[in-house]
Amino acid sequence: MSDQQQNNNMIYLQPTPVRIWHWLNALGIVTLCITGAQIRFPEYVNIFGSYRAAIRLHNTAGIVVCLSFSLWFFYYTMVAGTMAQLYFPKKEDLKYGILRQAIFYFFNYFRGKPNPHHTMPDNKFNPMQKSAYLAIMFVLVPLVSLTGILLMNVAPLRDLLIMIGGLKILAGLHFLLACSLCAFLFTHIYLATLGHTPFAHFIPMWTGWEKLEEEHDSGHEHDPVHGAKQVH
Amino acid sequence: MSTKTTGKILVLVPTFVLLVWIQAWGASEGCLNCHGDGNKVKKQYLIDPVHYRNTAHAKIADANFGCRTCHDNLSDRHPGDGVAAKTTTRCTDCHADIQAEYSESSHAKNAGCGDCHNPHAAHGPTEISGHEMNRMCANCHENDNMIQKHAEWLPQAKLHIQMLPCVTCHTSSKNYVITMYIVKRKDGERYGDFQPATYRQLQQLAGGRDILSLVDRNGDGYISLAELRLFNTDNTHDLRLQGMMTPETVTHNFQVLGNRWDCSFCHASGPQAMQTSYLALPQPDGTLQRAAVEKGAVLDAMNGTPDFYMLGSTRNPILSWVGLFIIVGGLVMPIGHGTLRFLTRKNRTGKGH
Repeated sequence: MSDQQQNNNMIYLQPTPVRIWHWLNALGIVTLCITGAQIRFPEYVNIFGSYRAAIRLHNTAGIVVCLSFSLWFFYYTMVAGTMAQLYFPKKEDLKYGILRQAIFYFFNYFRGKPNPHHTMPDNKFNPMQKSAYLAIMFVLVPLVSLTGILLMNVAPLRDLLIMIGGLKILAGLHFLLACSLCAFLFTHIYLATLGHTPFAHFIPMWTGWEKLEEEHDSGHEHDPVHGAKQVH
Repeated sequence: MSTKTTGKILVLVPTFVLLVWIQAWGASEGCLNCHGDGNKVKKQYLIDPVHYRNTAHAKIADANFGCRTCHDNLSDRHPGDGVAAKTTTRCTDCHADIQAEYSESSHAKNAGCGDCHNPHAAHGPTEISGHEMNRMCANCHENDNMIQKHAEWLPQAKLHIQMLPCVTCHTSSKNYVITMYIVKRKDGERYGDFQPATYRQLQQLAGGRDILSLVDRNGDGYISLAELRLFNTDNTHDLRLQGMMTPETVTHNFQVLGNRWDCSFCHASGPQAMQTSYLALPQPDGTLQRAAVEKGAVLDAMNGTPDFYMLGSTRNPILSWVGLFIIVGGLVMPIGHGTLRFLTRKNRTGKGH
């Protein structure tokens, strides 16, 4: 019996390596945002005592995020082998899925209509999530990490910095990318509350198991495995 | 006094002054005939005539008794008389105020004036680069050792030591300025360390014009932000600007200052403190001359000083606002959607939302 079939109403959605990555990433990014605020605006933000402490913590958190990103990449490409399936939008997603999901979030959700996407371990993300995570995980996080690594090693990597256009451009780019990641964080946390209960999506990211909601009306799509459906 | 006597005085006094001046000038130049030539004297007696002629010491010597102003044990028969030159004048004879300041510093026990300063090549603090200042310090404080010691507490120790004159942290000054130097790699090299460009290198690039015209395009003696941008984006040369935070007034009270352990001394002073900057250009005599740069140029987000950025201090205000706007943009979805979600909550009652 597979993990998915152990419990009629439960689905094993988030394997242990993914949960470790996620919470390391969460802790790291929140720490980076707060320490980053102190590093850029030391006259206004002083949470970690000294400026040096903020820098050291920022650098440490940055390394943690880089390592957890590597764990995520290694797990999905080498162990689970589902990176492309989960994160790359399919033709169908691009043609109809994104629009359908956007209509749900910005219109049908308020009318009490069901979510057109049903979460499964091999199809965890709706088309909007896929597109957003693709941009976040394959562009934003690598770029903010790379610029951060360069900023941590200005003296030894000076030639590389000059090829990019100089320290000032690099620091500005790092700051704007970090602001974008911080902005995404608010949206990410809010969207996570749109499950059938506000914590429905938080619990599986901690335990690994997500509770599937029983069907409410016959017009809803069925979970092909459990005969149950999920509302996000 | 008779007219005849007055006439004699009017002739004799200027003649005397002229003779003394000629003798003094002749003495300095005469000495340099040998002491400015590496083939005639040993290395320890060699004086760089180009550097020397522009020192305040040379000007004072020329106005008095030439080299004998300080080395008054020398006779006209030197070196044939076998008497070695002695420095009969002490630094404190002229620099008593500096001596008083220096004697209170932690350095005083360990080094005399001559250990850091060559009196035949002593220039004012704005006439030499931060790199040269640090070379003086490195004579005793070996560079790698200093990086290692500072790394025990200072993030990016190597960068700090490369990009700051030691005196910025180890002497007190009320204000600090950013001094920019033109640097370049060795000819033909695409990678590697940058060195301050020499006057001759810049002169070749300037093609006979004043070297300041390489940056100061309109020749008004003042470098605007637009001119800095043009210089930095000009692909016809391989020059770059290297900025250093330097004390506005250099003092001699060398010490380990308690407030320098706190990074916020430099990094939390905010953009308002980083308004003043200069471009220091090499001169034919080996010194530097500063040209004023537009206020706030180092805060330009892109091309003011591409390689000079101090965390916290040289942040660009516009970029900060753009960042804030992006973050606030991230709150639009939670606030906007959340409000509609609250208002339409009845539509989802019993449906698991």
